[in-house]
Amino acid sequence: MRSSLRRHTLNIQAVKMTIKQRKAFILVGGIAIAVVLVLWKPTVLIYGLQAAGLYAAVAIPMGLVLGIVHIVNLSHGEFMMLASYATYTVCRALGVDPLVALIPTALVTALFGWVVFQLTIKRALKAPELNQLILTFGLAIAFSQIINLIFTSQTYKLSLEYSSMSLDIGDLSFGVWSFVFVAVAVIYAVGLQIFLTKTRTGKAALAVGQNPKGAAIVGIDVYRTYGLVFGLSIGLVGAMGALFLTKSAIFPGVGSPFTMKSFSLVAMAGIGNIPGILGASVLLGLAENFLRSFRGTRDWAEIVYFVLIIAVILSRSLKGEKS
Amino acid sequence: MKRMMLVLAVLVLFAGSAFAQGTIKLGGIWTLADITGKQGSAAAQLAVDEINAAGGVLGKKLELIVVDDEGKADKAAAAVEKLATVDKVDVFIGGMASGAELGKIPAFKKYGKVVMSTGAAGSATVEKALGPSPESDFYFHLHPWDYNQGASYAEGWDAIQKKYPQIQIKKIFLAYEEGAFGKSSWDATKVLFGSDKRYTVDGASFKSALLGGGDYTAVLEAAKEFKPDLYIWAGYDADALPMLEQAKAMKFSPGIYLGAPPGWPIGFGSSKLARNVMLYGMWSPAINDINQVSAKFYKNYIAKFKEEPATYFAPLAYSAVYIVAEGIKAAGTTETGPLVKALEQTKYVSPLGEVITFKPSNIIKHQGITRQKILQWQNGIQEVIWPFETATAEPVYPFPAWK
Repeated sequence: MRSSLRRHTLNIQAVKMTIKQRKAFILVGGIAIAVVLVLWKPTVLIYGLQAAGLYAAVAIPMGLVLGIVHIVNLSHGEFMMLASYATYTVCRALGVDPLVALIPTALVTALFGWVVFQLTIKRALKAPELNQLILTFGLAIAFSQIINLIFTSQTYKLSLEYSSMSLDIGDLSFGVWSFVFVAVAVIYAVGLQIFLTKTRTGKAALAVGQNPKGAAIVGIDVYRTYGLVFGLSIGLVGAMGALFLTKSAIFPGVGSPFTMKSFSLVAMAGIGNIPGILGASVLLGLAENFLRSFRGTRDWAEIVYFVLIIAVILSRSLKGEKS
Repeated sequence: MKRMMLVLAVLVLFAGSAFAQGTIKLGGIWTLADITGKQGSAAAQLAVDEINAAGGVLGKKLELIVVDDEGKADKAAAAVEKLATVDKVDVFIGGMASGAELGKIPAFKKYGKVVMSTGAAGSATVEKALGPSPESDFYFHLHPWDYNQGASYAEGWDAIQKKYPQIQIKKIFLAYEEGAFGKSSWDATKVLFGSDKRYTVDGASFKSALLGGGDYTAVLEAAKEFKPDLYIWAGYDADALPMLEQAKAMKFSPGIYLGAPPGWPIGFGSSKLARNVMLYGMWSPAINDINQVSAKFYKNYIAKFKEEPATYFAPLAYSAVYIVAEGIKAAGTTETGPLVKALEQTKYVSPLGEVITFKPSNIIKHQGITRQKILQWQNGIQEVIWPFETATAEPVYPFPAWK
């Protein structure tokens, strides 16, 4: 009995060592790749990280909902689009900067997300997954069509001085504003990690995500928690909507590509793995920009997105089969 | 009582038929969610109202019945069917995207009514599907075909370089969106500018923001390395300002920076970055200063719709209604045969700054406008640089280096 326990403890230690080794290997590998890129193709690293920041900052809130509410929100990008239009309208009407409107937009969209959850998604949580998908897909279409009716398909863009801020290093000149998305992605990942592990509400949310029935038995209001998490997710993507306006033009269909990209990144990272979304985004951003930096592979950047998703999911499935 | 009802019914029927006899129906098909369709149909209605206010055509009122094709070929085909069979329109007008136009052609051929088309530049699809004369003689194509556009750009740049010796173009770079529109632009540019070796042409694709892209750094890096005299981007309005912002951040400032989207985002001209950006187009409010028809159209459009016409599809649709009205007047009927003959004699002084006539193109017999214009954003206004006969300003060259 004692030897069996000892063997089990040793096994756990071995697994922990393997995980540590793997993390160290990934870290060393990442640093090595970064050094090579800085020396060989610095723009790949710069623009790759900027793209990764944008992808991750939009995908992390979706990962939160998928990890806790267990629903694939196909209207995720459309919520961002709505927030962008709301910010644009406020900025035009009051003459304020989108950065000033960022926090109010986040709060209003969080409230809107909570209302949408209470009115629609809450009622479909016990329905088959296909119904949930159809519901959120329907919301996506409704949102984009409403915006189309109000604003038409014409695109809108605010011209902001700081969007074209640049930095010169030797002969290299590059835009720096998009690094704001990297900062936001890191803040989201770290902030959510702290929220989920250190706060009472966050721990309750984590418990609901892991075992809703168990959480209900110990007195956690599951649906209230779901509503809160959904509202938080929409608030975060709403803030991204305001920030997105500083970089891009907006139009009714601007959000939908981000829904698919976010879902794929969440799938690559594994459900509930928020730091993993950061890693998957960096991988995708660097790979895309690496291919774009060569004439012969410039058009392959879109393919790498699918190749990476297939490779990661396939390898995870194979690993699962082995274990 | 019964007799009274009968008399009333006869009166209603008579009144209805008299009303129908007093109306010439125009069937308009546009993509209404798109700004080109929204403003195109509005401008067509403006022309109808103006003509009716002036007494109509042949003593009858014009009536515009608009159907939305949603930019889809199947919906466009259904729109033709509905307008021809339910509304029984006399003439068709409208159109923008080639894909949707392609869907209409079999139905157009089936009904054989006169069509005054305001869009569809795709010669390989639409013009080919129409076929040669006489089977396509009912079709009057106002908008230039893609090869007309290309030829006019080449002509324009030659003329500009001749008139302004300080503008010298040797190297051309085309940044094109990776969809069908961008790729066809790239193929045309290579042939147009690269075939006779007068210009060195290079290009790279990018994913338009409209299709989920919006990162232009790679294509701008490639362009910067190439050092072009003329940088052209063929994408959509969603790409206009973000690409300029990234170009500025990367300190990429070619001699000429030219955009070729179908439309520009609202407020583009008010951005400092828009200064001296060139563009291809057919009309701008600057033409009001040199063309009375344009000034009248512009003034009436704003008075009626409380917004500025943002794309050339508005004056184009306005012109289409006037051309049809004048054709019907000359023919004395809406019957296809005489109306086609009358429209062949068209000499319409349009708000686009030119007199529209119809001549054969590569395949069809009735091609209207063949020239695009080269314009430049100057102080928030699109000024016409070429053709010189409709020029509203001198070109500013080179594109200013970023400060």
